[in-house]
Amino acid sequence: MSEIILKKIRKSFGKVEVLKEIDLEIRDTEMIVLVGPSGCGKSTLLRIIAGLEEATAGEVIINNTNVADKNPKDRNIAMVFQTYALYPHMTVYQNISFALKMSKVPVSTVDEKVRAAAEMLGLSNLMDRYPRQLSGGQRQRVAMGRALVRDPVAFLFDEPLSNLDAKLRVQMRSEIRLLHQKLKATSIFVTHDQVEAMTMADRIVVMNNGIIEQIGKPLEIYNKPKNSFVAGFIGSPTMNLLPGHMIDRRFKLENGNHIDLDKVNPDWNNKQGIFGIRPEDLVIVSDQEASETETLEVKVKVVEHTGLETLIYGDFGRTEMCLLTKSNEKIKSGDIIRVKVNPDKVHFFED
Amino acid sequence: MRNRHSFVFYPLVAYAIVVIAPFLWIAGTAFKRQIDILQGKIIFTPVLSNFRQLFDSREATFLNDLYNSSVIAVSSTALVLVIATAAAFTLQRLSMPKWFINVIFLWVLIFYMLPPITFIGAWFIMADYIGLFNTRFAVILGHTTINLPLGLWLMATFINEIPKELLEAARVDGCNNRQIFSKVIVPLVKPGLISTGVIVFIFSWNDFLVALTLTTKATQTVPVSIATFAQEYEIRYGAMAAGSFISTIPALVLLLIGQKYIVKGLLAGAVK
Repeated sequence: MSEIILKKIRKSFGKVEVLKEIDLEIRDTEMIVLVGPSGCGKSTLLRIIAGLEEATAGEVIINNTNVADKNPKDRNIAMVFQTYALYPHMTVYQNISFALKMSKVPVSTVDEKVRAAAEMLGLSNLMDRYPRQLSGGQRQRVAMGRALVRDPVAFLFDEPLSNLDAKLRVQMRSEIRLLHQKLKATSIFVTHDQVEAMTMADRIVVMNNGIIEQIGKPLEIYNKPKNSFVAGFIGSPTMNLLPGHMIDRRFKLENGNHIDLDKVNPDWNNKQGIFGIRPEDLVIVSDQEASETETLEVKVKVVEHTGLETLIYGDFGRTEMCLLTKSNEKIKSGDIIRVKVNPDKVHFFED
Repeated sequence: MRNRHSFVFYPLVAYAIVVIAPFLWIAGTAFKRQIDILQGKIIFTPVLSNFRQLFDSREATFLNDLYNSSVIAVSSTALVLVIATAAAFTLQRLSMPKWFINVIFLWVLIFYMLPPITFIGAWFIMADYIGLFNTRFAVILGHTTINLPLGLWLMATFINEIPKELLEAARVDGCNNRQIFSKVIVPLVKPGLISTGVIVFIFSWNDFLVALTLTTKATQTVPVSIATFAQEYEIRYGAMAAGSFISTIPALVLLLIGQKYIVKGLLAGAVK
């Protein structure tokens, strides 16, 4: 049972305020992912939970105890660092067992736990190697092993996958996910990669400029982003975000273009804001279909094939738009296509 | 290879000759009779009389001098390493205020640039006043004080090379500062300790001024002892050469052992 509650956490470095009143509840056994652009304060928040950084104000409550004044060693938290931070002068075995030795666990128990963790991570035959003799992926596993043996109240991951190559990253992603399902330990994972966030999280915390923009389940955040920042940050390719003005069923863009919709949420009427459409919610229609419904005319600029899908970048008047369709070889750069907007899938942000 | 680097190679050869030639000349002198030395003979029959004079004669103190030198050099080196490493760790890694760190390092630098002769007089009076005059301990303190700035600078550079994440990992793994120091910093900074140790040892071993001022015959070190061979009515060139020759041996051995670390130590901070 371990629950972490952050209350009104603030942090300033000199005059720069990096965290502005963060409130967050992390439930037992939950995998929380903090995601946001670099400099948004996510790593700082993680370090405050670990005790490596002191909050300027606020409380860090772990299992009903405020630990804000406690040293990291008294918090019983395990952390995996971005650079792995393996002790270069210790073997894999010594690295993994170090924390247990520091907390004076009996030698036989240490051995048992280290072997079990190594087994789980496939490190059993590397125990006598030094970090410098390991590959990047193996180092990453040792860093994980060092956290795993400890039976901590929470696991903290500080962008642990960002130094791996793409293939290994995807593999480790699902391995961490599997481990989490097996161990059911409260985990906080920091990343700037929204795909990592979407795939790993029970709940995602989207941060920007030291505040939390939105907290929610991955699909909740994807389907119902609270504001244009979250909408633009989560999802790849990025949502088309067009600033303008909604009048009746017509959305007037700032640069003079307009989009006509079949139906529209009445709340949005007569409001200034940002209109958002995910690339996959723009549907290419035939000329015949086009006469029956409201469509946009898009001049194709770039076509990218990823195999399963085709990404099309084009100009809608003077606005650049991106749309995603099933693999389509017919469309070429320079073509003019007609696109229908799925009226149920449009977003409107008033910020 | 030689062609390509001749602009480096020939100056190096010249430099090596400048360094080695006098040493060989001294080494040769150590095995000559006084008469051969005074006649400037190049071809001579080697004799061991000079060494016998150092170790075997009635008034010989050289063994005792070697002992003094060893005790002083080893102790002051150990003291410098302990203090410098702990201080460098504290300054570089325990989030001291910036201005404090800068003031300390600036003060250390200023102290390092002052020639020892400016305060050696005061040391003599202080040592005499508190009864430390003519003790090895006084010289140990003196050498520690003089070599500490260099030790601190070098160790600070080495400790600075240890990534901060390692210390944070240790902190999360349950270490307090003392354990971080002993279990992470010291093992990782071992090459730095060796190179700094060798440099400080040699400085202490070679020191003349402090030892001359703070000791008399019983506690004098080798360099001081060698100087006493030049007396008013007789300069015992042979004995001097023999003493010098022997006194280079420990430094030479240490240099050979710690060679690769020393180069690293002197270059540390040059490129980073």
